[in-house]
Parts: sequence; C-alpha cells; structure tokens
Amino acid sequence: MNVYINNYELLCNAGDTKSLMEAVYSKQSAVTINESYLPDAKAGLGIMKYDNIYNVLDDITSKILKDSNLDNFHNTLLILGSSVGGMQECEEIFYSQKSYSNIDPNRYSMNALSDHLSKKFNFYDSRAISTACTSSANAMLLAKRLIEVEAYDNVLVVGADGICSSTVLGFHSLSVLSDKRCTPFDKNRNGMNVAEAVAGILIQNVKTDNSIELKGVGASSDAYHMTNPDPSASGAKNSMRNAIKDAGIEIEDIDYVNAHGTATIANDNVESKAVEELFGNKAYVNSTKAITGHTLGAAGAVEAIVSCEVIKHSIIPPQTGLVELDNENINVPKESIKMDIKNVVSNSFAFGGNNTSLVFGVCK
Amino acid sequence: MKKVAINIISSAKVFAETKLENLDEKRLVPHMMTRRRLTRNSKVMLFLSDKCDFTSGKIVYGSCFSELEETAKIANAVLENEMLSPTSFQNSVYNTAPSYFSLVNKDTDEIITISSGMKTSLDTLKAAALQALVSGEKVLCICIECINIKNIEQINKCTKYLESGAAVVIEIAKDSEGAQEIQNLPIEGLMDSLQDLISVVNMNEKGIKKVLVEL
Repeated sequence: MNVYINNYELLCNAGDTKSLMEAVYSKQSAVTINESYLPDAKAGLGIMKYDNIYNVLDDITSKILKDSNLDNFHNTLLILGSSVGGMQECEEIFYSQKSYSNIDPNRYSMNALSDHLSKKFNFYDSRAISTACTSSANAMLLAKRLIEVEAYDNVLVVGADGICSSTVLGFHSLSVLSDKRCTPFDKNRNGMNVAEAVAGILIQNVKTDNSIELKGVGASSDAYHMTNPDPSASGAKNSMRNAIKDAGIEIEDIDYVNAHGTATIANDNVESKAVEELFGNKAYVNSTKAITGHTLGAAGAVEAIVSCEVIKHSIIPPQTGLVELDNENINVPKESIKMDIKNVVSNSFAFGGNNTSLVFGVCK
Repeated sequence: MKKVAINIISSAKVFAETKLENLDEKRLVPHMMTRRRLTRNSKVMLFLSDKCDFTSGKIVYGSCFSELEETAKIANAVLENEMLSPTSFQNSVYNTAPSYFSLVNKDTDEIITISSGMKTSLDTLKAAALQALVSGEKVLCICIECINIKNIEQINKCTKYLESGAAVVIEIAKDSEGAQEIQNLPIEGLMDSLQDLISVVNMNEKGIKKVLVEL
C-alpha cells in the first residue's frame, strides 16, 4: 500500500507555504529579535501573525479540505502533534490571576487543539501525540502505518505549537537560545530560535496529480541523555536508516536531507556526524530553521511540507545564514541547486533522545 | 474501521490518593544522579514496567496531563521572576517518563506518547496495537497520571486518586477467536483518561487475555 501526501498548508513566521518557500529560496530569515520575553536579554524568535491559534487551525484545515478530493472529514482521522497544546492560553490566565481556578483543564491539555478541530469539522476520530519536538513527525509516522494496514483511507496530520513564556524561558535556562537569527551548521552558530507554527497535511491512500509519496518512516531512541544527543550519533543514524529501509530504497537514493538543524552546538555536531557517516558528501543537507526558527512540536509537519515543496520545485535550497561550514565533510550548499530530486529525508529530534525520520519522494 | 485482536501478556496497576509509596526506585535505578532527577511519572513508569517484566522494546505511553508537577514549577518560577530550573524544563515534556525508561534500560526502540484528554488510554491502546501489528513484536502500553501538585484542589473536582497508572504488555493474536471487546470495568475515583486501560488490566486479572482493539 503506497501512502501519498496530497494537500497541505501552513502558517509560520514567514507566512503561508508559498511565502515560506520564497523566503527559503531567497535566504530571507523571518526570525525577529525580541526583547519582551527575557529579562535583560534578547532572543531571536519566529513569531507568526495571528490573533488566536484556534482561528489559525480553522483556516488551515478549511483550506486543505477545500483543495482536497474530499467533501468533508467524516471518514478522516485527525492526528495532532503538539508539544504545548493549550498551554499558551492557560499560562496567560495563570500569570494574570495567580491561580489555577479559572483554568479549564480541557483547554490546557494537549488535545485541546485536536478536540476543537474534531468538533468543528466532524472528523471520524482524533488523537493527539506529544513527544516534544518530534510530535508531528511521529503523527506522520503513525498516519503512514495506519493507512498501510488499511485502517484508514485519509489521515489529516496537524502540527501546532504557539510560543509560550515557559518554552522561551525554558530553552534560555538551558543556555541554547540565540540572541540573533540562528545559523545552522555554521562554525560560529550560537544557538536556536524558538518559534511557532500551524501546519496541516492530508495523507491518503490514493494518488492525485499533485501527490508526493510518503515512502518511509523510521524512529529510534538515543537512550543517552534527556537533552543532549548521543555524540556517537547512533540514534540519529538509526532513525534515518529505519526510514530509508521502510521506503525500500538505498542510502545512495537520497538527494537531500532536510535536517533537524536547530543551530545548537550539540544538535548540529551530532546530526552532521550522522549525515557524514551515512551519506558522505553525496546528499545535499540544509536546515530551514534558519528561516522559520524551531517550531517545536509543529516542526516535523512544517519541514515535511518544505520537503514536498523542494521535490516539486526541483531545487535544493541554500543554507540561509551560512558563512563558514563547521563540518566540511557534509554538503551544505550556500546557493540554490536546480536538479532532479527523487528522494528526501526529513529529520526531527527531541528531548529524551526521541528521533524520527521521514522519507518523501516522487511518485512511482 | 479496522479491529485487531491482541493478547495480554502481562499487566499491572497502581493508584494512591496522594502519593504512591514503595516504588522500588533504589533497585530499579541504582545510579543515584539519574534516580534524583526522575519525575513522579517516571518512577511510576519504571515500577509498572518492572511489574510487567518489560525491559526493552517499543513503548506507547499515554498521559493526559503528564509532567504537571514540573510544568507547575516552571509556571510558578515565571510568575515569581525566578530562574527556571533546567532540569524542570527538560523534565516537563510529555515523553519524559518513557525517555527515562529508555535511559535506565538502554532501550533504543521507538517511543510514542499519546495525550488525548479523557480518551488517552483508549488511544494509547490503539497506537500500541498498531505498533504491535506493524512490528510483530511485543509492545508496552502504559498510562500514568500524577497530579498531586500544590493547589490542585483549585481545578481537581472529581479525581480521588492523584497518582495512578496502568500497564499491559501486548502482542498481536494469531486469530480473533474468543477475543472480547473492551469491557467497562473502571475503578471509581481514577481519572477518566486511565479507565479504558484499567478496564483491560481488570479483564486480564479476570482471566480474559484476548481483547479486540479498533485501530
């Protein structure tokens, strides 16, 4: 059973899918420098233009339905991937009232967002996944498997995370936040940018004129440390190997790696090592977090959309912000490269050593 | 809609009104620094997985509110303009408990974490059944809620047992002969997010070892 990505849309700091890809190819970071979250310090953040995350969810889902081959979502499973769920709204209540009393637990929990969509669009069923920064990548992993075993014909994966004070301050406490626009894989990179996004992807068992195939999914655990990746890179390599094996292709068939690439010292060192040891310098690599920032639980879905767009455009994106490559044994282009792109790997890695890789490709 | 039959290989459950005692942490986590960093959910996870004799393999973990204590610590630190604890932040993600399990047991297999509100344990069972079907392996399906935080009474109106958990190790059955639908065997006072898995544990304790799960 082949599995296809047929429709998608997102909203991030760079705008919608079309605006994001224009920013990716023109190397225009949409990260802004913010002084309101941290006391006496600046932070590069990826902030999207919106009033309320629930309205963004509605708009994205409506557009996907309108563009799809479906009349409604009554026979579609919704899988949400999020790391904070309804926390954004609830922490505002707590900070203003200094009490939990007026917090609705149903608006706090992870499924607050999926329950909202499920009620509004009458999905057949919904569930929510929260594995930190791999949340929506793991949602896609489950979606592929559910379609392959013929449990569902249609699955809508939504990755959604809004910026919260607790996440910005939390990453600051780990000393991994950059006060500038992040520069993945650069020798002088100084950390990540926390960001927000909503991304929806309709995954189906039928091919359309516009389909990209979700060929493979793979996952692993580092079993090494709660926040630091295993320096041997075995977890990252295992998730990529598992996804490539699941796709039924060879390592040599991968043209481009859309890296997790957060621009922290630790992540980029380990991911570079994993890419070097698996692909050498044969596959192109970059991280579009230089444009979007790290959209946390939404990142897997955002970067799945980027991966599909890269295949459709047949253009490898340049690495925004790159001045001097840290690991010279991997192939990170400074300028766009026009070429036939058959297969792409997209990586997502998370706290707890949770690793997920997805393989996208042109349809057979 | 597709249903599969699963075999229940082992099961366990625990619950306490305020705090679960005797979780056997010293034996289960000999390394002191790791033990000191464990969250309440992580300690319950290690205890239940040990009771189920599960040390390695795929895990599907479910929790509606997950690491509420760590999240509350962070929120209160922000409110009081205090420095956030890096340990609290890293321990606040929903996959913290199964990640500590993987660290302690050197388990490098897949971990999925479900958080679907009051149907969390049903969705966790569904995801575990899928993982068992796709892999052909045994899978640990485990759900935990630890909500014993300061001022919890401001929002908790109906949960009597503030720390609770349930776990089953499952595999796909060769056929569905004799398999039963999930019965409604709840334990009053537990959070609804746990009750479907509690029912399956209770079925296993009654000798019903083959259960139908809709994917």
